[in-house]
Amino acid sequence: MESNTRDRVVLNDNEVLRVEGLEVKFYTYAGVVHAVSNVSFFVRESETVALVGETGCGKTITTRAITKLIESPGRVESGIALFRRRNRQVVDLLKLSDEEIRKIRGDEIAYIFQDPSAALDPLYTVGYHFVETVKNHRNNINKKNIIQLAIKLLREVAIPSPEVRVKNYPHELSGGMKQRSVIAISLSNMPKLLIADEPTTNLDVTIQAQILELLYELQKKYGMSMILITHNLGVVAETANRVYVMYAGKIVEEGVCETIFYSSTHPYTQLLLRAVPNPLKKVEKLESIPGTVPSLINPPPGCRFHPRCPFAMDICRKEEPPKIKIGNDHYVFCWLYVKK
Amino acid sequence: MSIVYRALKTVIGFYVNIRDRITPGWSQKNSSRVREWELMAYAFSRSKIGVLGGSMVFITVILAIIGPIISWEPYWVYKTITDPNFMYLSPCLPPGCSAKPILGTDEWGRDIVAMSLYGFRISFVISVVVVFFGSIIGIVLGLVSGYKGGVIDEIIMRLTDIFMAFPGLILAIAFAAVLPSRIRGFLGENIWLKNILSATFGLRPQEYPQLAALLSVWIAMVVVWWPGYTRVIRGTVLSVREQPFIEAAKLCGLSTWRILVKHILPNVLSPVIVMVTFDMATATLFAASLSFLGLGPQEPVPELGYMISKAGRYFPERSLHVVSYLGFILLFIALGWNLLGDALRDVLDPRTRRALEFREEKV
Amino acid sequence: MGLTHYLARRLVTFIPTLIGVLFITYIIAYAIPADPVRAWVGEKLLNREALEMVRKKYKFDAPWYEQFSFFVQQLLTGQLEDPIKYRNVFSEIFFRFSITVELAIISFLFLIAIGIPLGILAAMKKDSLIDFFVRIFALIGSSLPSFVLYYFLILALFVYFRTTSLAGIPLPTQGCTSYISSIPNQIPILGHIVSAIGSVPMFGAMMCGEWSIVTETFRRLYLPALALALLNGGFIARLVRNSILDVMGAEFILYAKARGLTKLKVWGHALKNAMIPIVTVLGLNFGGLLSGAVIAENVFNIPGIGKYMYDSITRLNFPVIIASTFLVALIYLVVNFVVDIIYAAIDPRIRY
Repeated sequence: MESNTRDRVVLNDNEVLRVEGLEVKFYTYAGVVHAVSNVSFFVRESETVALVGETGCGKTITTRAITKLIESPGRVESGIALFRRRNRQVVDLLKLSDEEIRKIRGDEIAYIFQDPSAALDPLYTVGYHFVETVKNHRNNINKKNIIQLAIKLLREVAIPSPEVRVKNYPHELSGGMKQRSVIAISLSNMPKLLIADEPTTNLDVTIQAQILELLYELQKKYGMSMILITHNLGVVAETANRVYVMYAGKIVEEGVCETIFYSSTHPYTQLLLRAVPNPLKKVEKLESIPGTVPSLINPPPGCRFHPRCPFAMDICRKEEPPKIKIGNDHYVFCWLYVKK
Repeated sequence: MSIVYRALKTVIGFYVNIRDRITPGWSQKNSSRVREWELMAYAFSRSKIGVLGGSMVFITVILAIIGPIISWEPYWVYKTITDPNFMYLSPCLPPGCSAKPILGTDEWGRDIVAMSLYGFRISFVISVVVVFFGSIIGIVLGLVSGYKGGVIDEIIMRLTDIFMAFPGLILAIAFAAVLPSRIRGFLGENIWLKNILSATFGLRPQEYPQLAALLSVWIAMVVVWWPGYTRVIRGTVLSVREQPFIEAAKLCGLSTWRILVKHILPNVLSPVIVMVTFDMATATLFAASLSFLGLGPQEPVPELGYMISKAGRYFPERSLHVVSYLGFILLFIALGWNLLGDALRDVLDPRTRRALEFREEKV
Repeated sequence: MGLTHYLARRLVTFIPTLIGVLFITYIIAYAIPADPVRAWVGEKLLNREALEMVRKKYKFDAPWYEQFSFFVQQLLTGQLEDPIKYRNVFSEIFFRFSITVELAIISFLFLIAIGIPLGILAAMKKDSLIDFFVRIFALIGSSLPSFVLYYFLILALFVYFRTTSLAGIPLPTQGCTSYISSIPNQIPILGHIVSAIGSVPMFGAMMCGEWSIVTETFRRLYLPALALALLNGGFIARLVRNSILDVMGAEFILYAKARGLTKLKVWGHALKNAMIPIVTVLGLNFGGLLSGAVIAENVFNIPGIGKYMYDSITRLNFPVIIASTFLVALIYLVVNFVVDIIYAAIDPRIRY
């Protein structure tokens, strides 16, 4: 069992990001929402890590918290987020000043959001977005060159006639083209880490496949690391090296992709996998997970999954499960696997 | 605040009872809707602005109804004819002074507090009638225009543009110049109409020439009022129309009329309620402004705006109290509606309402 | 370009609306009055012959379409005549209108100076005391009867502290006005535009360098302008606040932050988007001001078009009522049209 001491967290050589003990709370009318509780994960160089879970499990908030994109009433209560910058310097993102973290955002850590139609400012052209993003982080490049770069990137994301498109306004592009433009814009500064938040959820299935393929190619080409957030397990199987399964603001299982799919251990993961129907088999009834996600205002004591868990034991209701090592790179948070 | 909540809950319960008696089982089928109403009532009761506005409106309505009845001075008696000293008497506040009238008199020696009681009725009736007719016309046209689309939509939109091109005051001025003579003649011939209308406004039938002026103001205002509603309703209809449940209704074979009334109208109701509430304030002030300009009823009708305009000549030496008090009355009426409208707008928006809902469940 | 196409489309809808406005004015002028001839002539007692002459001249006995076309002709060529005084009604109306323009511009400047900064402040410090104050300001502004506010402002700033005057209106010297009206003779098209601008007394004085007139104008008009701005300022501030907050919640603002743009740039994006509904409302507001704030002009004794219309009612001067009604409606239409153009210029989505 790996120790979880917060006093000496270290970023290993082949890692680009390591988050330990992240805690995010929202102070609302209704009470304090424990959105993210004691979440730890890491991302290696050039790898794709998937954050999987139902809507509302905290995956988006986790990734936004690390670059201080969380706004009131949300607050990052505690945690460490070690990041290796381009110049090999290691910083704790959560301890940086607003100005310093702003410089990293868009430059070394880039985001892609879920709704492609909304990410671009409708009053500005696609080209302007590029110019803005690049000029903001680099002073020594002029507008013409940036437009050239933009055209090149748009071509790489498979947008036809990029020289025309770069002068278009967002409403002149289709959903798929917008999302691809956003990808291109996010890549314009060659980030080390790309955080893609449900990049294909709002798109047609055929476009979905293309975008995922694209992301995979770009990642290999530029040596980027990627955090992919999704609730779609099919997408995970296609693209991820390692997977973190989240539930109700906590990580419940983590492991290499094959391990999660073929030898998952946490009851929630297993139920999730079972809920995806096999297109080759005839199904009598669609499986679902009974019950609903708990309110995070007063999370249930003990393991947060226990109200819906078919294997819940007495201790599950009282104490939170520790982190158990199952195999290489395979960990689970479940009392079922604690040896007595 | 909980008194308000309990009162509103009783009203809701009363309505539910009646509906149940008409169609048995109604309360079962609509239990979630009733629950939503109760939540709205709760959210409203927690809004200080709402409760304040609601009470002000309540007072306004009560005074509008009973004002002319409880007023202790008839408005048609000019004290100054017998005793010129009565003109613009200063306020006489206890304990230094205890004779009537407490807040002073107007140009004709009438107690301004007594006169304001008539004023409540006149202002209220005008604003209610204008907003009622204006909104009905506007809503119907907006529904048709938004739902049918095509040529009808274009025509109605052109009409709306045309009427909106005339700024309200201008159109009212133009109408006020030409209508009163017509209406005067009309009223002179229809005695029972004259009597009914006079009674509604709390006036004597003898005042019917002034009534003609009032009615021309009213017509002018209605003509100006409906385009606003048409635009808003049409906009809402356009956005609701595309939604899948409307298509489903059409596929079920529901007639256009049914779809409009049963499915589109309820969705449109919330902005309408808010608009109507705000409009009551606007209409009150607008009517007072028209009277201020002399386009409405004149002596002896104690219309608030008109009395203020008359007092303007002696302002501020002799009539400061008249302008202050009557101005305050108008402010009170309008502010009540505006506060209520502001609160209703927050309550009827599901997002802001939910935030308050959570609070209730904890309690 | 999409813009010219859009303009062409808007122009096409402009025409039927204009015809509609003309028709409504016609109805008010000819059809509604119980006795139209009397209405046009005024309450003077005239002998039968004179009445007949008026009836023939204004085509009161002709069928309605002849009446209408005669009426339209008169209005559009700006030659409406007063039947009694045989004077062209429009020249006086245009002069009055220029005064209203002065008041409208100064009021508008005050309004923007009060409303926009307050609104931005309220948005930046949401739910703070300033935000609450803006809300109250808006509520009171829309609940206070305008004339009451005017009276009290006059009480404070005219009766107690003599900071302004309530009589007359400063005008540029005779030499200046004749110079300005002679400009079109020297430079044809541009000269007409310049001359038109110069017919507004304030601008005319500026063109001639008569700055004392300009300051006098401010002194004369600042009180009503301030009053109007106070009444509407709260509403504008609230609008600005809500518009900004709506935009700040948009996804592209989050994306802008995610790209690491500076706070200034993020605000730039927000403000430009927020301005769209604000510009529309401000434009309509200005249009309303141009129609003549009748009550303000009355109370402050400003010889603008609003007061002119009001006076013409009390004196039952029908031709003036009709001509000014038409003019005001026309101005409002034009302002709406201009606002649409500005809107299309800012927002590329509209052009298509």
